[in-house]
Amino acid sequence: MAERIPAEQSPETLRTDVSETDFAEIVRRHQSMVFSIAHHFLADRSAAEELAQDVFLQLHANLLTLKSEDHTKFWLRKVTAHRCIDYKRRRKPTQLSFDDTPEPVAAVKSTDLFLARRLRELVASLPEKPRLVVILRYQEDMSAEDIANILAMPLATVKSHLQRSLAMLREKVTRTIGEVTI
Amino acid sequence: MTPMNEPNDRLDDILKNALRRQEAPDGFAERLMARAAQQHSTPEPIHRDSWLRFLTQPLVRWAALAAVAASMVLGVHVYQVRRERAEGEAAKERLMIALHIAGAKLQLARSKVNEIRTDQSTNHQVKE
Repeated sequence: MAERIPAEQSPETLRTDVSETDFAEIVRRHQSMVFSIAHHFLADRSAAEELAQDVFLQLHANLLTLKSEDHTKFWLRKVTAHRCIDYKRRRKPTQLSFDDTPEPVAAVKSTDLFLARRLRELVASLPEKPRLVVILRYQEDMSAEDIANILAMPLATVKSHLQRSLAMLREKVTRTIGEVTI
Repeated sequence: MTPMNEPNDRLDDILKNALRRQEAPDGFAERLMARAAQQHSTPEPIHRDSWLRFLTQPLVRWAALAAVAASMVLGVHVYQVRRERAEGEAAKERLMIALHIAGAKLQLARSKVNEIRTDQSTNHQVKE
């Protein structure tokens, strides 16, 4: 379990502490985060699952180097983000398919459902880096500083990606939906 | 609330809602654990750290330095031997060429002498 990995322990000490049960617990706790980043980025459920599994297998191999729950979360976000970009660069662009995405369980208006689906498609069509910035900002509710750390990018670049992406999303959604002001 | 009256920051809310975390597919963790177990059961490659630790031991470091020094001395020796051999080969080749030229000149001289002798004996017979 991640709580059992104190920050000051040496890797030799950690070796005896991290078991398969601990790993399973880490997976259970973070699978939704890793899978969602990949799915929002790739817009492909099976590719997202494959990528998320690869991220956790890499984590399994590096488990002893992670010092705390925060470190694990940071590591997972960082590796997922970089693997997403690598995955996209290695493969040809595919048709966006959010149709099989389960809608949020909370009661929402049908207009919002439509907007949400359209926004997911638009986010998935953004260039790679701005797409990751938007996903980390809105899915993970991360600050621009944290995103800059994760993506190893200057803060000003992150803010610029965010502003431009939001302006583009606003314009495209307004053009698509017409009468809805957002 | 009609859509026309909605505030401008509504995009933020809709984005947060649209990009909410989703549950991983059913059986995700089980499939992952199976893969991890499979990976774990295959023989692990020698860890890079253990090599680094081995190479940083003092005895190994001195042995490596000695091996490098010995290689350098051997390399210089081999270079010198090869250079001497090459020089010997070149000298041998020059000698062979000189002998060949000398042989050819001797052959020419002998044929000239033979020609003169033949001419003299012919003249002697004519006089008689």
